[in-house]
Amino acid sequence: MKKVLGVALGVLTAIGGFVDMGDLVANAATGARFDMNLAWVVVVGVIGIVVYAEMSGRVAALCGRPVFDLVRERLGPRFGLANLLASFFINMLTLTAEIAGVALSLSLVSSVNYLFLIPFVALLVWLVCWRMSFVMMERVFGLLGLCLIVFAVAVWKIGPDWNQLLSGSTHPHVPHSETLFTYAYFGIALFGAAMTPYEVFFFSSGAVEDGWTSKDLGENKINVLVGFPLGGALSLAIMASTHLLLAPRHISVDQLSQVALPVASAVGRLGLAVVIIGIFAATFGAALETSLSAGYVVAQYLGWPWGKRDAPRTATRFHVVIMIAIFGAAVFGLSGIDPVKVTEYSIVLSAAALPLTYFPILVIANDARYVGPDHTNGRFLNAVASVYLIILLLVAIATIPLMIITKGGA
Amino acid sequence: MVLSVAACSEHSVGPARTYDDFERKSRTSAAVALSSVETVRLLAETSSDGDAWGAYTNIGLSEQEDTLAEATGDFASIQPPDHRSDDLRAQLLELLDSAGDHIATVRIAARRGDLGSLEQVAAPLADDSVALQHFLDSIKR
Repeated sequence: MKKVLGVALGVLTAIGGFVDMGDLVANAATGARFDMNLAWVVVVGVIGIVVYAEMSGRVAALCGRPVFDLVRERLGPRFGLANLLASFFINMLTLTAEIAGVALSLSLVSSVNYLFLIPFVALLVWLVCWRMSFVMMERVFGLLGLCLIVFAVAVWKIGPDWNQLLSGSTHPHVPHSETLFTYAYFGIALFGAAMTPYEVFFFSSGAVEDGWTSKDLGENKINVLVGFPLGGALSLAIMASTHLLLAPRHISVDQLSQVALPVASAVGRLGLAVVIIGIFAATFGAALETSLSAGYVVAQYLGWPWGKRDAPRTATRFHVVIMIAIFGAAVFGLSGIDPVKVTEYSIVLSAAALPLTYFPILVIANDARYVGPDHTNGRFLNAVASVYLIILLLVAIATIPLMIITKGGA
Repeated sequence: MVLSVAACSEHSVGPARTYDDFERKSRTSAAVALSSVETVRLLAETSSDGDAWGAYTNIGLSEQEDTLAEATGDFASIQPPDHRSDDLRAQLLELLDSAGDHIATVRIAARRGDLGSLEQVAAPLADDSVALQHFLDSIKR
């Protein structure tokens, strides 16, 4: 019974923790502009993250070491350094977006300009990273993130033509008001939001923090195979809510307040309160994950002690990196740069760096020296993962040109 | 990477070299304005129905007012390439100014705590919305 509860909790945490600022902005903006014509990209992205997150969790459970730790050893220090630099840069953009997202969600209940709240949020993120246990962090913010289910409630309350909604999702086309370039650009943004690199680094390091062993492989699979797709369903609910309520009014999503508007309109004050709690939890949880990921990738590459399972005095440099990352992200956020634009750029640039993140995972998951002869990838998994690697490569090649051609999706 | 990001400004403030360029920038500005107008209308409606509290409504309204003001400022600073563009510029600026005024009125009422009657205060925005949609329809893609 205890085991079942533990698994259930893990699944719920995975659902609630799936959505972050990137998913909120990308799915809301896409639903308002492209209706459900890019819903298929969310499905493709979720399958990709499921495949690679399962691999990275398996590697961590069997080796007792996270993926990033193994990258330098297996693929050489140069590749590891390239991976580190790309990951850290994108992580910083993502952390800025998440901290700004938390501040924005607080401003929606306090009327205080979000810029004044950024220092407070940054301090809170650092304090929680410093003092709260890893398990507690995962559970609290993951479970609170389940409040985002209110988007699905909003869709149900709006009362759409379900056949039309399904048809729109399964028969995608480029809307007349858009070009193939903007369609592809937003598709890449959605894909990048679903497969953000920090998620696998955090998932992998988190498995080591939680002390996973081969006995936890089953739980890893269930979390990933059940939790992530349901998290993806939340993303689709966000997309559907803006498609149904904002798109007919020609409203494009540029602000976080607009993301919550369909819920307020359809569900009322209680819905608005629940969705803001959900947005706060999702962005705060993601801020914690990206802060920790910053520490993980640097410490693991340089061979420093790392992790929350050890006392801070044992992993001092790890905690210093986290502190510097949070401080840097807060300073960048305080520059007044549009947080929604930062979010868009972070997920699009993530897409450009995806092969660097996921290729090593595929290599290590096939290496019996790390996972043992009985736990390397099967043929089917390798086939799917290889197809995804090709997709990631094509996405990475297309990202920057599309960003320039479409002027950032304008 | 930094150069790519820098190249991606939606409302670049350089001159439009041809009428087609200018028309394209006009379309972008009008679309942004329409989005702001409709967001404010929906916010006003939601607030009047008691479905949103003051802080959320105030922040939402301020954001849209700022967005529209930025779009208006950016568009006004674009050098029209010919006399045909002057007419288009005058037409759109009138629409943008009207929408800006009406949004400001809604924002003022909201900050005074008049949430229950916001939908009524926002009523003139319906005409702004129709006018902006007509403007967009009149411009070829």
